[in-house]
Amino acid sequence: MDSAEVEFLAEKELVTIIPNFSLDKIYLIGGDLGPFNPGLPVEVPLWLAINLKQRQKCRVIPPEWMDVEKLEEIRDQERKEETFTPMPSPYYMELTKLLLNHASDNIPKADEIRTLIKDTWDTRIAKLRVSADSFVKQQEAHAKLDNLTLMEINTAGAFLTQALNHMYKLRTNLHPGESAPSQDF
Amino acid sequence: MTEETDFTQQDSDGGSEEVVLTPAELIGKLEQAWLNEKFSPELLENKCEIVECVIEQLDHMIEKFFPHVLEKEKTRSKGEPSILSPEEFAFAKEYMANIETYLKTVALRHMPPNLQKVDLLRSVPKPDLDSYVFLRVKERQENILVEPETDEQREYVIDLEEGSQHLIRYKTIAPLVASGAVQLI
Repeated sequence: MDSAEVEFLAEKELVTIIPNFSLDKIYLIGGDLGPFNPGLPVEVPLWLAINLKQRQKCRVIPPEWMDVEKLEEIRDQERKEETFTPMPSPYYMELTKLLLNHASDNIPKADEIRTLIKDTWDTRIAKLRVSADSFVKQQEAHAKLDNLTLMEINTAGAFLTQALNHMYKLRTNLHPGESAPSQDF
Repeated sequence: MTEETDFTQQDSDGGSEEVVLTPAELIGKLEQAWLNEKFSPELLENKCEIVECVIEQLDHMIEKFFPHVLEKEKTRSKGEPSILSPEEFAFAKEYMANIETYLKTVALRHMPPNLQKVDLLRSVPKPDLDSYVFLRVKERQENILVEPETDEQREYVIDLEEGSQHLIRYKTIAPLVASGAVQLI
């Protein structure tokens, strides 16, 4: 899966915006949106929020977890714990990137937030590397990865699953007496 | 209120069943079917009304595993739902015929007479059901057997909690994907 596809899934997340136009309720396949009234906050999916912001038709309200103190707490907790801490949103990476790229004027202390998120991401990816390493060394058959977000799984996942598949084949081929057909991809 | 849409399905006897889905549910199902098909090592059950949008993925899979897919179709008994829609089945048969003609014209014709047959079932790789996949649990499952990877390990059972995420071999959880109890990610 590409990062772009993960981002596509993330764009369904709801964010609050303040439109500067008015529009009656619209009925889309994925659900109803609106009505939109200037100055009144309304929840819309991220893809629409970004689009409206680019056309200068709204102001974006950052999610309540996108705040320097909150993110500092999360980053510190991530560094302390050996396991993965639950993140405030399953799409924290994509939300931060899109909102900081397109609506940084609506987000206080945007640069600090960027750094904090990057630090948290780096810590989590490092933990993921360590745990993948021990998974492979101990030849585990199963792993539980509850608090990982899709973007993190996707970053490490393709390589990890292919490596595990190869190892499995090498292992099972050590026992030629088994009923494995001669050509098994 | 969001409108509800009727989707009329034809089942294998030619009778019809009406399944009423809201458009939002349909998009959700489409996404689930897309993700499951994308990450699964084998071809999954056909979802008639939503398959148009997943057609490219399926074409690729059919091309990769075509003799095994057709073999499976042949041995499928009357009552079970078909893995391929009529259009897909036609595509698979045509593809097979084309490949056979191609191999014959390009290479086989020039080989010694007793070597001019090719057994596609044996030469084309089978879907690797032992691949590792990531999944998210939608419905709680109990007592899923995890097979050991090495000779020293013994098999053990795990429970799959709703909302948890796991990394495991496809073969163990294949029926759960078909039933919708887990979602591949």
